Amino acid sequence: MNASGTVDPITLTVIWNTMLSIAEELGTTLRHTAFSEGVREGDDFSTALFDANALMVAQGNFSPGHLGAMPTCVKLALEYFPPNSLKPGDSILLNDSFIGSGHFPDTFQIMPVFVEARLVGYVACSAHQVDMGGAAPGSQKVHGVTESFQEGLRILPVRFVREGTIDEDILRIVLGNVRMPDKVRGDLLAQHTANLTAYGRLEAMFRDYGAETIETAYKAILDRSEAAMRAALAKVPAGTYSFEDCLDDYGPGTEPVRMAVDITFDGKGAVELDFSRSSDQVPAAINSYINYTRAYALFAIKVFCDARQPQTEGAMRPVTITARQGCFFNPRFPAPSGGRAILQIRIFDTINGAMAQALPERAMGAFSHWSNPNIGGVDERTGKPFVMYDLGLAGYGGRHGEDGPEAMTPVMNCTNIPVEVHETHNPVRVRRMALLPDTGGAGQWRGGCGMLKEIEVLAARAVLSHLGDRHKVQPYGIFGGKPGALAESNLYRGNQKLALHSKETRDLEQGDVLSFNAVWGWRLWPAGAA
Amino acid sequence: MIRVAFDIGGTFTDFVLHDDRGATHFLKIPSTQRDPGEAVMRGLETLLARAGIDAGAVGGILHATTVATNAVLERKGAATGLITTEGFRDVLIIGRQKRYETYDLYINKPTPLVQRRHIAEVDERMDFDGSVVTELGAASVERAIDAMVASGRETVAVALLHAYANPAHEQAIRARIAERAPHLSVSISSEVSPKFREYERTNTTVANAYVKPIVSRYIANLEQALAARGFQNELFVMQSSGGLVSTDIARDYPIRIIESGPAAGVLMGATVGTSEAADHVITFDMGGTTAKLGAVDCGVPAIMPSFEIGHVRYKKGSGLPVNIPAVELLEIGAGGGSIAAVEMGMVVVGPESAGADPGPICYRQGGTRPTITDANVVLGYIAPDWFNAGAMTLDAEAARAGIAAEIGAPLGLEAGEAAWGIHLVATAAMENAMRIVSVEQGRDPRLYAMVAFGGAGPLHAARLARLIGIPKVIVPHGAGVGSAIGLLEAAPRIDVSATRVMQLDRNAFKTIAEVYDGLQARAVADVRRLGATAEPVWSRHAYMRYAGQGFEVHVDLPAGPIGAGYGEAAIDAFNRAYHRKHKFLDPDAVIEAVDWTLVATVPAGDRGAGGMGIGIGQSGDEAPDERRIRPLTRMAWFPEAGGYTETRILTRRDLIDGAAIAGPAIIEDPDSTTVVLPGDLARISAAGHLIIEISEGEQSVG
Repeated sequence: MNASGTVDPITLTVIWNTMLSIAEELGTTLRHTAFSEGVREGDDFSTALFDANALMVAQGNFSPGHLGAMPTCVKLALEYFPPNSLKPGDSILLNDSFIGSGHFPDTFQIMPVFVEARLVGYVACSAHQVDMGGAAPGSQKVHGVTESFQEGLRILPVRFVREGTIDEDILRIVLGNVRMPDKVRGDLLAQHTANLTAYGRLEAMFRDYGAETIETAYKAILDRSEAAMRAALAKVPAGTYSFEDCLDDYGPGTEPVRMAVDITFDGKGAVELDFSRSSDQVPAAINSYINYTRAYALFAIKVFCDARQPQTEGAMRPVTITARQGCFFNPRFPAPSGGRAILQIRIFDTINGAMAQALPERAMGAFSHWSNPNIGGVDERTGKPFVMYDLGLAGYGGRHGEDGPEAMTPVMNCTNIPVEVHETHNPVRVRRMALLPDTGGAGQWRGGCGMLKEIEVLAARAVLSHLGDRHKVQPYGIFGGKPGALAESNLYRGNQKLALHSKETRDLEQGDVLSFNAVWGWRLWPAGAA
Repeated sequence: MIRVAFDIGGTFTDFVLHDDRGATHFLKIPSTQRDPGEAVMRGLETLLARAGIDAGAVGGILHATTVATNAVLERKGAATGLITTEGFRDVLIIGRQKRYETYDLYINKPTPLVQRRHIAEVDERMDFDGSVVTELGAASVERAIDAMVASGRETVAVALLHAYANPAHEQAIRARIAERAPHLSVSISSEVSPKFREYERTNTTVANAYVKPIVSRYIANLEQALAARGFQNELFVMQSSGGLVSTDIARDYPIRIIESGPAAGVLMGATVGTSEAADHVITFDMGGTTAKLGAVDCGVPAIMPSFEIGHVRYKKGSGLPVNIPAVELLEIGAGGGSIAAVEMGMVVVGPESAGADPGPICYRQGGTRPTITDANVVLGYIAPDWFNAGAMTLDAEAARAGIAAEIGAPLGLEAGEAAWGIHLVATAAMENAMRIVSVEQGRDPRLYAMVAFGGAGPLHAARLARLIGIPKVIVPHGAGVGSAIGLLEAAPRIDVSATRVMQLDRNAFKTIAEVYDGLQARAVADVRRLGATAEPVWSRHAYMRYAGQGFEVHVDLPAGPIGAGYGEAAIDAFNRAYHRKHKFLDPDAVIEAVDWTLVATVPAGDRGAGGMGIGIGQSGDEAPDERRIRPLTRMAWFPEAGGYTETRILTRRDLIDGAAIAGPAIIEDPDSTTVVLPGDLARISAAGHLIIEISEGEQSVG
């Protein structure tokens, strides 16, 4: 560092790369020590590092839904624990939908980092817990859940770890309210272990470079990523771009939910996304708290404008995300939200529809939707409860210059869970997992195929909380491309075929076969435009 | 015994001949892509002539090859089909679905090695515990075989759900193919990779099938050529796990030789470390395009249960996963040819590479973008007139001008500072990679030595060691042909493994004994095929976790009979391994073992393979008069000394008396250049290796 309070470019590069490496290592440790399938196989978690002012300076390359929520989450948590009340070895735990990433299963742990007794920043990670109690296994039941209190245990920020010692009283309260206490305990400890790993490396970095240099570097990281984002946004033609699409509904017998966005680029490096024209919040567990809306709106802007730069809070500064209070994308507590995960693709799709007008070569046909069923009950083989958390991930819409890929994770970045892993740990048998030819929309560049999965229940009884969409509203095509086929969910019981609603909770019996499919849209590029 | 080893790489084929007088001859010649055997035979002729030896006198012929890897990377394998369980035809196409870049929706998944139309389903189903849910349908098997034959398949993979738990259906299909279509080469998942997780197992089996005909032909041709030239002894091939294997096993399981060359390099690191009393080693092999990092713990190369082929931009998750034990290897896009640029006011290096064509600016072959090599020339680390022992003259001025324009001007730095920035950023990228190999795996760098090799490894090694806190760097004699040397050190080895998920308690020993009885039977059959007469040395390890976790830690299990008490011993072993990696134990959790492995290593025997200490220090080459008169000093950049500093230029020969010299200094060998930092001490050991003791130095080097 020199006298003018700047840091030389080489030191800055090394510090930034080290920060990214720490954020990655935090995630690797979490994945390797976690217990739940969602975290360990599905990568349903995220990690971030913050400066002393709680500004986010680095993130790991994990689930964007939690990632986009991180900056606000840490600031809101610190309203409960002012920095001067924190001590070395403390860690804050929370899962509140408004403060966190929009539903109870995502638990955040935030650990202040001290170097020589001075607070120099925070490390944080989130993880999708397999269950947080509430109306159905997996805590994601949509239909019939009309307020948050039915969704399980709500944890406003608490001091989970005090000066290095886990508060067993808090842990007991949590574990007493969840269906799978062993897994939840394992994942909470894994989050703590992972944060400790990052803490140790940050300490070493501060020792090597000194707090003054690092704090100058942090400021440079934030400023430069902001400048890079502004430069990228400034390239988008000024104007307001709007799009509307509909969520099928919010449960059996309900109306479609309007999802509308108006995106305004000022041509000078700022953008505002306003979701206010969308429907009002709904009395079902599918509302998108503003942190969640913000997370996927930021994700989409980054995809369209600035995909390769590391994400920091600086890069978020030029992006404003608004939605009127009380609307579907900015509900008031206690709006229920357990099943909001199915919105992530639709938030992206809505923005994509608008961005197709601004940056046509970057836009794509709508994704086929995905299904996220939770099947829970008691496994008679072991006498223990089980929750089979599954991710059915289908295909992409057609892209500029190429067909949409089959079976690649859209938007959130999870892996599927192997059939052999599911069958080893849960009383289920997967009967079929197959692509559905000719279900993607036709066009010059077609959409990727949909996918079908059939699951047989081997337990005497179980409960399905289904989470899906695009059973009524097709994935749209763009520039004249045809829409993709509709998704379907069915229950085969004996000789009967019973249609399942995409957001239904249903009691199951042994021998039931569930069938889920999901399909996408494609695009047709106007002739001669390619 | 006279032994010869050759390692065919993408650019060069490296040779080492160790004669019966204890002398070692090195040779490096360009590879011949179309027929790799051509370079082999040419190199062998040269070596035999140089050593004055008849082909018939050579006792052991050892080989590492990229033929299998290249077939996969270039998608030039044989016409391959896949037979799988009804309902699961698309497992291979679906894969694990994750994007290797979160914010990039314009990427694609790796292209599978089998097209969908060549995947046939059969009626059958096993359960996770090996019980039969649906019997194998004979008619469906006939249909599948018909489809394979009709579409002109040359090789077929059979991968059925839960076949790791019960191989009966896969074996029945193979038997039927042998009757109906004996010309088809068959690979079954329960033999190639009997582990759970269907995508990874299927892909591994398909990859094996895909390269099997090519590897088979390649080995047959090579053996024929060697025999025709008068070599009488059997050829051994290096496996990814660092053990040698006979050619008939390599032909059946070619997937085991995918990481042949890198494994030999890590093995060389282990041997060199042992000869210098360093049991814990990080290997650092930096070439023109990438840097590869490996590890050796307690004298044994670290082996991972799986790896990926064909990464995109070296991103984890972007390649095809292969469930075969391989040396733990982390490869990043940082080599001499990696391109430097300015983004957001910072220096970015790699993974884009200028390669050999156009190459760095200083090659004067049309390259216009500055590379790591250009930076090293500007910094004075590489002598422009002594690159590749003077085989090529570099243009230092062009490198300086290019760096000044592309990096210096936008950042407001002098050319020297800008070159230093490139060097340091590249080193920092390797440092972060090295953290993944060391700290993240529970390895304390302060307890490790670094063995540096490859064309650029010794140049960056000391700085890297200092950054990460490794106290000692070893640059082996013959660093430029390190992997070939490693072959001479390898022993024949068979790895067999199986998935058997079980909870560990005091009664577990019965089941463990049962698992190992089965593995032993399989291993004995393979060991017999090695033709070894010596009794193998057996070792066991398992992959274990807390019940409920999804990732396992490698646990070395005790040798000896498995009886009462073995369950407790296994629990102890798990606790040690888990704590080493995660610094945390959960005494309340249940411990679960997933995969079990048995390794048979055949000690040096009469077949010509096996670790016999070679006098690495005594080269039979390099006559003193071949060496040109070199300047004694040069200006080289060391920020510790304030920038350009007059720096001594030495050769290994200058250090042969064993005296230590203090940095800054540059030691030039014909095949590599070593940089010694100010404050560090360098000397030649009794075994002939260059040893650098790293001082703690300044941690903050910006």
